[in-house]
Amino acid sequence: MAELRTSSPPVTSVLASTDACERVAGLPGACRVGPTEVAIVGDVSTAAVLQAVRRLDPDGVVLDVSDGWVAHTLEGPGAREALSRLSELELPVSGFVQGEVARIGVRMLVDGDRIDLLVPSMHADHLRERIRTDCAELLR
Amino acid sequence: MTREPLRFEGREVPVLEGDTVASALFRAGVRTFSRSLKTHRRRGLYCGTGECPNCTVTVDGVPGVRSCVTPATGGMRVRRDRGWPSAEHDLLHAADFLHPLMPVGFMTKTFIRPRFAWPVAERLIRRTTGSGPLPIDAPITRTVSRHVRCDAVVVGAGTAGLSAALEAATGGERVTLCDLFPIGSRVPPGPTLDAIRELEPIVRANPTIEILEDHAALGLFEGPTVPLAGPAELVEVHPQHVVVAIGATELHPLFPGNDLPGVWLGRAASAMAALHGVHPGRRVVVVASTVEGMEHLHALVAAGTSVIAAIVPAAFVDEVPRQTEAIVDGELIEAHGRGRVRSVLVREQGERRRIACDALVLSMGLAPRDELARMAVDEPVEVVGDAALEAHEPRLGGGYLCLCEDVAVDDLEQAWAEGFRSAEILKRYTTATMGPCRGAMCARALACFARDRADVADVRAGARITSRPPVRPVALETLAASVHEVIEKRTGLHDVHVAAGATLEWSGGWKRPLTYGDRREEYLAVRERVGLMDVGTLGRFLIAGRDAMRLADAVFPGRIDDLAPSRSRYVLALDEAGYAADDGLLCALEDGSYLITSTSGRAERMDARLREWADRLDLHVHLLDRTSELGAILVAGPRARDLLQGLTDEPIEPATLSYPGHRENVVAGIPCRAIRNGFVGELAFELHHPRSRGPELWDALLRAGKAFDVSAFGLDALEVLRLEKGHVYLGQDTLPDDTPDKLGLAWAVDMTKPWFVGKPALERLARLPRTRRLAGLEFDHAPADAAELRGVPLTVGDSIVGRVTSSASSPVLDRAIGLGWIRSGDEGFPTELRAGSTVGRVVPTPFYDPRGARVRG
Repeated sequence: MAELRTSSPPVTSVLASTDACERVAGLPGACRVGPTEVAIVGDVSTAAVLQAVRRLDPDGVVLDVSDGWVAHTLEGPGAREALSRLSELELPVSGFVQGEVARIGVRMLVDGDRIDLLVPSMHADHLRERIRTDCAELLR
Repeated sequence: MTREPLRFEGREVPVLEGDTVASALFRAGVRTFSRSLKTHRRRGLYCGTGECPNCTVTVDGVPGVRSCVTPATGGMRVRRDRGWPSAEHDLLHAADFLHPLMPVGFMTKTFIRPRFAWPVAERLIRRTTGSGPLPIDAPITRTVSRHVRCDAVVVGAGTAGLSAALEAATGGERVTLCDLFPIGSRVPPGPTLDAIRELEPIVRANPTIEILEDHAALGLFEGPTVPLAGPAELVEVHPQHVVVAIGATELHPLFPGNDLPGVWLGRAASAMAALHGVHPGRRVVVVASTVEGMEHLHALVAAGTSVIAAIVPAAFVDEVPRQTEAIVDGELIEAHGRGRVRSVLVREQGERRRIACDALVLSMGLAPRDELARMAVDEPVEVVGDAALEAHEPRLGGGYLCLCEDVAVDDLEQAWAEGFRSAEILKRYTTATMGPCRGAMCARALACFARDRADVADVRAGARITSRPPVRPVALETLAASVHEVIEKRTGLHDVHVAAGATLEWSGGWKRPLTYGDRREEYLAVRERVGLMDVGTLGRFLIAGRDAMRLADAVFPGRIDDLAPSRSRYVLALDEAGYAADDGLLCALEDGSYLITSTSGRAERMDARLREWADRLDLHVHLLDRTSELGAILVAGPRARDLLQGLTDEPIEPATLSYPGHRENVVAGIPCRAIRNGFVGELAFELHHPRSRGPELWDALLRAGKAFDVSAFGLDALEVLRLEKGHVYLGQDTLPDDTPDKLGLAWAVDMTKPWFVGKPALERLARLPRTRRLAGLEFDHAPADAAELRGVPLTVGDSIVGRVTSSASSPVLDRAIGLGWIRSGDEGFPTELRAGSTVGRVVPTPFYDPRGARVRG
């Protein structure tokens, strides 16, 4: 059985040249969502990141976009099976993956039986409802 | 143990342990299980393995259920749907006697003239054919879909499938093993079942093998991907390789009388006798030309069935039981009988001989089920077991080739004579192989038929028909498992609207308030006092980076380079054909970047458009979709400034926040970007704020607004407000090929710019005469609610010259207004026209405050 929790973690978006993204991609919670975009999940100093980015890309943008994302966390033995009902994405044992879950573009941080699904806030209620209906017997 | 009986057409039929619906009915004396599709011939149990259509009945309202593989349970309601007045006494069987007069294509050839005949004939045909009515009142159950990733998927859990699964698992692979039925459940006692029972526990004990029983593989797609339809779920398996072990069906022999009740394939007959303890007949003739056929013969005899004669090859003659007459190398010529088998005609050493019997059991060869493997093109697929055997050639002696669609060999002969000379074309013309068995019984025979007659050089004529999914019948409900409802988008204020009792309606993927109760009052609040609207549905995109201006300049046809920081401008977006695709408000930010707000329902397309052109023009820009992150509240009305001023320390004066402009502004302690907006035609501010603080801001505005009698307003009020200003709703008021010129938006295009998306197309289109345009309309004696005119054609005299796209009764103007398409005629664009019985005329827009003094406030 898996547990479903919803939270609003801090999310920072970094939009910068490839080499500048490279520089911040190693930060804890950093997800490389595109060649010129990194999302950092968790507390981070926006000013410090901006400083690092600007050294390589003077146009780089660093924005706190926490309000744009909601995290649905599935944790427990049924978590991966629950996800297989909603998505054809292949989950790594651990790490970052992005793609569609229930036809909604999401970002996922996977760690064994724990999956943190970052979903755009406007889709959060819908996805939560879909998880609840399609995976009812897998959820605690 | 007494079990609850099932109900069959009004009577009770006892159910014994292990019964299928078919075995219970057969034991109770039912011999006619269905009527054939077109000629209403009686059909009895035949294949016994869920392939042929003969045993299909309606179970608990669901038609097309194969009774031979459906476990019987007490209380089931079973009936036969085809036949009038009943399947047992079916007057429509007359069609069979008229068959010679109704050749292939009869319906479509016959009823085309006179023209009125077809609708009548079609209704008649629909009533007399088909598989029974669909349960349209049945509750909708939602099938769940899931995805499984594994190394190997093994389709079929017979001996070959079980062995293949074990072998793969032993090699360290994760295996998904599926079968149509529970493992071994449809195999009669014998060496095959013994082998299965030996392997089964080892497979079940292996943790790396996932077993999916009652799951039908529907096809094989690239990837490879194998969809499995199971009870209440659709499983999409994504393996590294596929093992097809679905075995073979018994050959469907073709001879006159081959579809009579009482003609059985060996598996069905031996299962009936050995598994269910019912004799297929009292005097049984067996034709066995394979090892499996001899097994069936022995199973029947062991079960006590009276087998009076067996036609066998010389090699098997010693194995024929003593009490059965062996007919060595005999040839089956035909089965005879009216309604069921009474005798068979055989040729024995050149002599024709008639044998009286009431059941004929055929085991004359195997037809490997290779349709899954044939679907795979360059996919890692391995075929094992009986599925990999070479097929026995069917002999085309006559009788029914396609049992599902009722196509006899004679029909094919006629079609051939008419010039349909390849298997694929014969299939299309006669519908042979197109029934629920998906050609499992007859596709090979069809190819043989064409091959035997075609020119030797024409190899394609005899080629087998293309194998297509689904290879097993599947409910649309199951296929729809991965297709779901519209994804509902919600703003941060959704709960606030629900709590306020708003009527919500879909709009561009969002659930938005239409009204909070009193549309007119909401409208009047905006025109006379102040109103609030949730506009968090607008697309919001940040365009940053050193080429931000170049991207905006390319994507939007208006002038951009003179847009100073803190100023904003209405922008259109055109596609490359020069047609209006989107519009919005472009705000130049202080740091050289831009914030673009775009139409709610088209935000995804705006995002794609910006990214596409940034790529194609190789621009150094950073794009961020902020739609989800930012909430937005529109504060509109003559008292809007007074309301905001009470909630902020910063002076909201025309000098510091003029129209069209914007600035960062803390409102009620919440950081906002306030953007002046003219959509509703009053002094108005859009407050873009962090989504999470939306409810707090909404609440503060409502509380402070009490002094001004503030009201929240929804889409219904907005519709009238924007229409009075003549503002166009892209999508509602536009057609896919609208240039800015046709919409009266030429002012938003600067043709002196060297280039923008759509400019070359506009230059070409400018040489064509303008024959259509969107116009403002005014109506006399309109319906009480002029919104009813929307969609009504506009006419001049007898000719239609356009259509109303938006209409409303304007309270402030006290008349009915609208927007609509008009076409030019010989005397240019019409000025006086009618919308139904309502008189209308073309007028300039805006209808309200044409100089825009109120917007500039």
